[in-house]
Amino acid sequence: MTIRSKEAQETRQLVEMSWDPITRIIGNLGIYTKIDFNNKEVVECKSTSSLFRGYSVFMRGKDPRDSHFITSRICGICGDNHATCSVYAQNMAYGVKTPPLGEWIINLGEAAEYMFDHTLFQDNLVFVDYCEQIVKETNPTLLRRAETTEAPHGGVHGYRTIADIMRAFNPFTGAMYREALQVSRITREMFCLMEGRHVHPSTLYPGGVGTVATPQLFTDYLSRLLRVLDFVKKVVPVNDDLFDFFYEALPGYEEVGRRRTMLGCWGSFQDPAVVDYDYRNMGEWGRGMFVTPGIVLDGELRTTSLVDINLGMRILLGSSYYDDWVNEEVFVTHDPLGNPVDRRHPWNQTTLPKPQKRDLADGNYSWVMSPRWYDDRTGDHLALDTGGGALARLWTTALAGIVDTGAVRATGHSVEINLPKSAALPEMRFEWKIPKWSNTIERNRARIYFVAYSAAMAFHFLDQAMAEVRASRTQVFADFDVPDDAIGCGFHEAVRGVLSHHMVIRDGKIANYHPYPPTPWNASPRDIYGTPGPYEDAVQGMHIFEENGPEKFKGIDIMRTVRSFDPCLPCGVHMYLGDGKVLKQVHSPTLGTSVSG
Amino acid sequence: MTGTIKVGRPDARPDMTAHLKGVHEGNAVGNYEQQPGHLPDGRSTAARSTGINPKDRDPIDPAMPNLSPA
Repeated sequence: MTIRSKEAQETRQLVEMSWDPITRIIGNLGIYTKIDFNNKEVVECKSTSSLFRGYSVFMRGKDPRDSHFITSRICGICGDNHATCSVYAQNMAYGVKTPPLGEWIINLGEAAEYMFDHTLFQDNLVFVDYCEQIVKETNPTLLRRAETTEAPHGGVHGYRTIADIMRAFNPFTGAMYREALQVSRITREMFCLMEGRHVHPSTLYPGGVGTVATPQLFTDYLSRLLRVLDFVKKVVPVNDDLFDFFYEALPGYEEVGRRRTMLGCWGSFQDPAVVDYDYRNMGEWGRGMFVTPGIVLDGELRTTSLVDINLGMRILLGSSYYDDWVNEEVFVTHDPLGNPVDRRHPWNQTTLPKPQKRDLADGNYSWVMSPRWYDDRTGDHLALDTGGGALARLWTTALAGIVDTGAVRATGHSVEINLPKSAALPEMRFEWKIPKWSNTIERNRARIYFVAYSAAMAFHFLDQAMAEVRASRTQVFADFDVPDDAIGCGFHEAVRGVLSHHMVIRDGKIANYHPYPPTPWNASPRDIYGTPGPYEDAVQGMHIFEENGPEKFKGIDIMRTVRSFDPCLPCGVHMYLGDGKVLKQVHSPTLGTSVSG
Repeated sequence: MTGTIKVGRPDARPDMTAHLKGVHEGNAVGNYEQQPGHLPDGRSTAARSTGINPKDRDPIDPAMPNLSPA
């Protein structure tokens, strides 16, 4: 829904335009802007969410062993990332370590999830903004040029011109659009083989998995992986051709969605050889992950230590509908290494919702809080973004230069991805190079490279898992006791970026639980210091390339920018309890009944 | 009360799902060894897949990996 109203401010003619809700994403995100059409510039942007859920409120008092099942329901698209992250946090709290084969199974499941979700979002949702139909409506001259521009990698993917690529992504009719739907089905099957059910895993537990590891399990996964490999090999050059064309045909397009490079990645794919889930060793085993955790500041790697990342987390208010928790209980004063833990850290947060009227002028306007990372060198509270997930993952991994499995190698300035021979195409190597900008196009480009990254990694994980099976080491779970008092934290990468779960256990029950998924970071509103959140920051000051004037304005550049972050609002805020609330206890019938609903 | 939100009277305690002391826990330490077919060294035998003559279904050569079906 687009709403327009005019107001004269200073000497500029500003038009207020808002999109609320934004479509093709999950949840309820509103973008409110003021646009100067004479100078083709977005002058102000505010992002709001009208959705409150309250996971951190109702998790208290529950059995900690249920937390991965409950928090998985935060999201209907990356629920398994929550389950996995919760399992990591529980492993730390219970002092249990998943056996190697169990760890490889989780990695294989998560690799399939990245492939599934990135493919679906990129090719079926993001590319609608770049398809022939939309470009025809927003930038007709660009389409005319695309018709006559040869695609540099046409020999690999089979599309002669850039306009052919744009047509291939037309919704429901385009060839790539339809093939991507098939691929997302196969990758989802791969996920189900490993974690039992998509998107709320049924075989994932603290201490291991319930998946029975047989040679057939891995063969079934491998045969599907090989089926999607041809698609992956085609789609990466398709993306490169299209995005390079945008840079070339629209000079200055690199400024769209550009913001200071402040990327956070919390790491993914545990290495069972090093991970012991002990907080005291978290720096070392964090760096052993097959996607290196880290924070990139202005192109430099600020840290790769999960301990530093953990201690720097601050949850700020400022424009959110909550009361401050300064007078509430402090649960964790020091971490297991003796470092002081801030009152604004998720371990010490108490969620105190305070519903109110939205005030976009100078009041509170969102249910999303403002997570920031405190840089103790400068004293800044940094509004990190995730670059839609993939950009931060590739960037930190490339700069750290640690990952080297043969299938994937980080070089310090790039990531090499090697894919084996598949049905139609030979062995191929892709190299993702650190881009010059953290902008809309590079967020989107990184996403498709990360599909290739996950596919290559999945081959490595399969090799490792089969080696375990051939050596008869079939153990996939370990037993544990739930302590009366413990703390735990899990760090993982949801498909669209950083994910952390912080848990405090008292009397064997959850005393405090705070999940921090990527969208609170990306969609955060202005904090107490006035720092805008990443969406706001990326859209504010942006030049408009759309050819339509105010009357037919679609806001395509703004939409491309917001969608490049892969917004997913159900996790943005953590129960609506209105007048119509009905509480029921329902018994779910099992097989053999004919009761519907 | 949750913050400033007025909520109705709950008909379930938040810790309803929390564990009752004295009840057997499947995850408890020591249970792994009690699972049929799961050996202490991390290997497994056909007994994890079937209770019917499992020994007849183990590999004929002990050096072979013991890969019982799911």
